[in-house]
Amino acid sequence: MTSDTRRRRALGQILLLAAGLLVLVAISAASVLLVNKARQDNALVVHTVEVENQINAVLLELRRAESAARAYLLTRWPEFLTDHEQAVANVTPYTDKLAQLAADNPFQVENVKKMRAAIDIRLDQFKREMDFIKRDEPTSAAALVREAAAGNTNAIIRDVTDKMHAEEERLFDLRTANGDRSQILASSVTIAGSCIVIALGAIAAFQVRRSTRVRDEAATKLRDLNVTLETSVQERTADLREANDEIQRFAYIVSHDLRSPLVNIMGFTSELEELRGDIFKRIAALSHTASEAAALPENATDSAEPALEGADKQLSDDFSEALGFIKSSIAKMDRLITAILNLTREGRREFSPERINTRELIEGIAATVAHQAAEANAQIRIEPLPEITSDRLALEQIFSNLIDNALKYLRDAVPGDIAIRGRTKLGFAIFEISDNGRGIDPKDHQRIFELFRRAGTQDKPGQGIGLAHVRTLVRRLGGTMSVASELHKGSTFTITLPVNWAAKRKADA
Amino acid sequence: MSNPVTIIMIEDDEGHARLIERNIRRSGVNNKILPFRNGTDAVGYLFGSDGSGTDQKGKALLILLDLNLPDMTGIDILKRVKENKHLKSTPVVVLTTTDDSQEIKRCYEFGCNVYITKPVNYESFANAIRQLGLFFSVIQVPPAAA
Repeated sequence: MTSDTRRRRALGQILLLAAGLLVLVAISAASVLLVNKARQDNALVVHTVEVENQINAVLLELRRAESAARAYLLTRWPEFLTDHEQAVANVTPYTDKLAQLAADNPFQVENVKKMRAAIDIRLDQFKREMDFIKRDEPTSAAALVREAAAGNTNAIIRDVTDKMHAEEERLFDLRTANGDRSQILASSVTIAGSCIVIALGAIAAFQVRRSTRVRDEAATKLRDLNVTLETSVQERTADLREANDEIQRFAYIVSHDLRSPLVNIMGFTSELEELRGDIFKRIAALSHTASEAAALPENATDSAEPALEGADKQLSDDFSEALGFIKSSIAKMDRLITAILNLTREGRREFSPERINTRELIEGIAATVAHQAAEANAQIRIEPLPEITSDRLALEQIFSNLIDNALKYLRDAVPGDIAIRGRTKLGFAIFEISDNGRGIDPKDHQRIFELFRRAGTQDKPGQGIGLAHVRTLVRRLGGTMSVASELHKGSTFTITLPVNWAAKRKADA
Repeated sequence: MSNPVTIIMIEDDEGHARLIERNIRRSGVNNKILPFRNGTDAVGYLFGSDGSGTDQKGKALLILLDLNLPDMTGIDILKRVKENKHLKSTPVVVLTTTDDSQEIKRCYEFGCNVYITKPVNYESFANAIRQLGLFFSVIQVPPAAA
């Protein structure tokens, strides 16, 4: 998974959460608003019903007053009179209440005004009826009742109240519809919000599942990689070893094939040398014969080296010089090829680690060079050295090369002093071979480890192989090597080797 | 060397062949020397066209063999010679530049009679070949059968 997609995924999750939160807030706000609206709508519906009730109450009281007045006129029972008076007393407050209730609607206010006028007329008629009855003029009262019944006051009242009823019914329908709409809206919003929340939850769950799956896959992949890593390291090591073997084989074959023509060059050069001897012997003999004119001709051929003279001698010397250069070059080439062969042979040798007392080993080497040391007027001091596990032959070659070098490159005037010291540190043994010899110029410190390269005054025989060989061996043994030196002050070679070297580590070297 | 032993010289390098022949002659060996420049020709001569080696049956031979041949290794020829019922008693002298101890061991295991490394130093080379020639002059080879 790239970091880009990972970032995008994290961003997506944050957006998802934010969206969920937003939806929830919106739903809550909408619910609160809609519930408030529904309550208002319901209150309005209730108000309408109240207004209708009040209209009915006013009408009822009027009818009660009317019927009680008629009954009182017929029977003269005082109960009817009380009833009538009560009803009349109720009408005005009821009408006031109605006016108060309907104050919000200008149409109803107008109606209530009309109604109040009619009611006032009607109440006045009642009052007059009652006066007639009190004054005991029933006929006048009855006439008034008739007049009232025939009059249009009742009709006006009925008309107005019908209008008011109609208006209130209209409002009722409207407000009920409004309330229903608000409720439907509220429930719709709730349902929609719930759906969105559920959808967001599902997406989140899906994402969590997907990221879990991705993580599981990554974990599996990692485990697989860990397993295959070991294998691929082994494969690479095997490849490297194969390549190394190939180089060794190549060097071996090349040096071998180079040797074959060298045998010819050397052979025929030697043949030429012999021919040269014969030729110049004959030239000498011929010139002798010519100059001395048959003076002892047999002696001439018998003598081992008849003297050559002048130009002939020059020719012979040139010939010898040329042959000499050819032969010395061939000899040098042969030494180089032999050295390469030996190096490849060493490189192919399998090391066998064993416990080695390095002090004993180096004392043995010192004993073999004791004669050379005495000749060079040098002493070899061996200090206590650590025991290590390594390849014995390789160690012998390493130390004998270094001690040989130390003896070889001493200063002529100064008695040699060669010291071998050792210590251990963190699982490595550190050996130091120091001398007080001629030393090595710092600019040559790398060069001396290269194959066929040498440094300093070239007054000693050598191929420039020793240190290259030593370094190769030290590396194969899992160690490192370095030099510290100054011209005319001596050199110190430091070799670091693992204390416990196992053969399998050869692959790493 | 008792006549008429023929020396089969299998050597791909003409110069080497010449030097070897010269030095053998210098040691006083005058037997016929049959040079072969590659393995195929030598095998063709030794084993005949049918590969059975019947052609050489009963002939007195001595084989001088180089190991590094252009078309095959000398060891293959050595193996075939020593496995052939007509040729297995023929002495084989391996004369080569290889001085690898493994190679030397293998050659003797396959039945080589003498193994000599060609030295680059000509004096040693001439010396070795002359001594080989002296050796040839005293060596007994299975005689030619009637």
